[in-house]
Amino acid sequence: MQALWQLYLANVKEFVRDRMAMFWTLAFPIFFIAIFGLIFSGANDSTFAVGLAVEDHGSAATALQQAFKSVSAFKITEGSQADLLALLKNGKLRALIVVPVGLSTAVGAGQPAQVETYYDPSSATTSQIVLTIVDKVVQGVDQSVTQRPTLLSINQKPITGNNLGQIDFLLPGILAMSLMQLGLFATAPALVQLREQQVLRRIGATPLPRVTLLAAQVLHRLTIGGVQTFLILFIGAVAFKVNIQGSLWLLLGFVLLGALMFVALGYLISGLARTQDSVTGITQLLNFPMMFLSGVFFPVDLIPGWLKPVVSILPLTYLADALRQIMVGATPAYSLGLDFAVLGGWLVVCGLLAVRIFKWE
Amino acid sequence: MQAIEVKNIQKYYGATKAVDGISFSVASGEIFGMLGPNGAGKTTTTEIIEGLRVPDAGTALVLGLDVARHAREVKTRIGIQLQNTALYPRLNVREVLDLFATFFPGPNRSTDELIELVNLREKKKTLSKELSGGQRQRLSVALALINKPEIVFLDEPTTGLDPQARRSMWDTIRSVRAGGATVFMTTHYMEEAQTLCDRVAVVDAGKIIALNSPNGLINEYFKESAIEFELGGEMPPEGTFRPLAGVTGPAVREGQGVTLYTTDTTGTLGGLSHLAEAGTIHFDALSVRRATLEDVFLKLTGKRIRE
Repeated sequence: MQALWQLYLANVKEFVRDRMAMFWTLAFPIFFIAIFGLIFSGANDSTFAVGLAVEDHGSAATALQQAFKSVSAFKITEGSQADLLALLKNGKLRALIVVPVGLSTAVGAGQPAQVETYYDPSSATTSQIVLTIVDKVVQGVDQSVTQRPTLLSINQKPITGNNLGQIDFLLPGILAMSLMQLGLFATAPALVQLREQQVLRRIGATPLPRVTLLAAQVLHRLTIGGVQTFLILFIGAVAFKVNIQGSLWLLLGFVLLGALMFVALGYLISGLARTQDSVTGITQLLNFPMMFLSGVFFPVDLIPGWLKPVVSILPLTYLADALRQIMVGATPAYSLGLDFAVLGGWLVVCGLLAVRIFKWE
Repeated sequence: MQAIEVKNIQKYYGATKAVDGISFSVASGEIFGMLGPNGAGKTTTTEIIEGLRVPDAGTALVLGLDVARHAREVKTRIGIQLQNTALYPRLNVREVLDLFATFFPGPNRSTDELIELVNLREKKKTLSKELSGGQRQRLSVALALINKPEIVFLDEPTTGLDPQARRSMWDTIRSVRAGGATVFMTTHYMEEAQTLCDRVAVVDAGKIIALNSPNGLINEYFKESAIEFELGGEMPPEGTFRPLAGVTGPAVREGQGVTLYTTDTTGTLGGLSHLAEAGTIHFDALSVRRATLEDVFLKLTGKRIRE
């Protein structure tokens, strides 16, 4: 026990004194969160610049004008149709709403009248949103003018308790990714380095059971994983108000399972690789598909069907899914039980293979 | 009981015979040296005895125990120094020694005692990656002494040390032996084997070609003295020195340098003077010395141990 503890401390000291390694291990996930957090928090509270040309001065037109100006998602610029059309063409506006001359008279006479909306169809998503809002507003005004009762309406009920923003989606993904990279980048190269520097061999020349050495290494990796997890959850809660929806213990359980699984994968790689260079090759070979095909940065629904078998093999898919469910209450892609089973399976397979092929020298 | 008893060990790396049937025994309290050039099989032999490598044939008994079957127990009772071990690079000398002490069941030497023993007092707070080659070498010797071993295995313990540090390492090794330990060491320094070892096994190409005390080896292989000098001007033809009185073999020539082995120093020197007076040769920097282990090695293998 004494040897295990001292070896563990030695690993921690080595890590803490290697400022570059420590900085990158801890700062990398934080950078990711900061960058994505800033990008997406910007997109979330953005409004649409919309031009409004009111050419009519009747009561219906005024009602429409008031209604459009009260839409919080619109940043309204008023002016003449010609001026605003020019702005739209320059890309300064997303859309232009024109209330044409004679609209109020027509409505007063019970005749149909039209509000014209100009938009740029090339930015499809934005235009759709703007057009929908315009449609809603016009309907609302129409009802109040004509005094028809509203018979049908939509009562919006979001299926998750909280509104899932981009950062809510990303944060669990980034946590899962850091746990993966803990195994790939922090474990495998470090072990090969210990082997190349013959530290493993030197310790093998003492009566210390080798399993003690491995246990100390694993404990050290788990500690780093724990610190990373804490940092990610802490920044998520403080900077982006992402609070954990599910059980904290369940979350930590999955974090531990994921960390163990990827550390075992790291051991497996270090057994397969002869040199530092081949470690780099193998880890990148695994890192890239997992980073982009496991739903870390975007939902797996967006991945084309022919890649789906790959997606459903990668362990990171299940870790990201489980963490996302527990942390932000996201819609499950798989049940937590399945996530647990797949990760557990990977852990057992990697662990057994790693023990089998681990090389001491 | 012998401290070490090795019987006909063999080790192959592919088609290469690294160790080709080596047998010897080391008495308790001895300083036993294996002398040979790099690649002679010294390290492989040592690591088989330490239990770090498994021989393809033969057995090694250490403290009466078969290493192949009792590796763990043997490792608690011996101390091992390996060639070129890098240690935890960011731990300092004290921390490395404290860490390794926890790997042994004890009783151990204290870290302070070890630091004194290998002369690293001023460096005890230095990270191991910042130690010089010689200091790292001394730290790795200290690691071999932690558990008060009954046998200390030192693989080229003075490689990379300057002459002063080498002498101080010899003192350390002598004091370890004075404390009751057996020392098994390898070296490719003739002087080291000659002054430090009680007995020396000369190895070449995986075989022991001679085994005796240093003086025994010299007496066994050389009744002659060596006369060395440098030639100036034209090189005389082969066989010029062979007929001189007392010369026992062909002259060994290395560049301008010539070594003659003779049983009749006076006669040979007289002959050389005649050659010089006749203008056949011009020589300089002449010296006469007793044969050394280097000469023994040269005679046995036809080559020098290191260049």
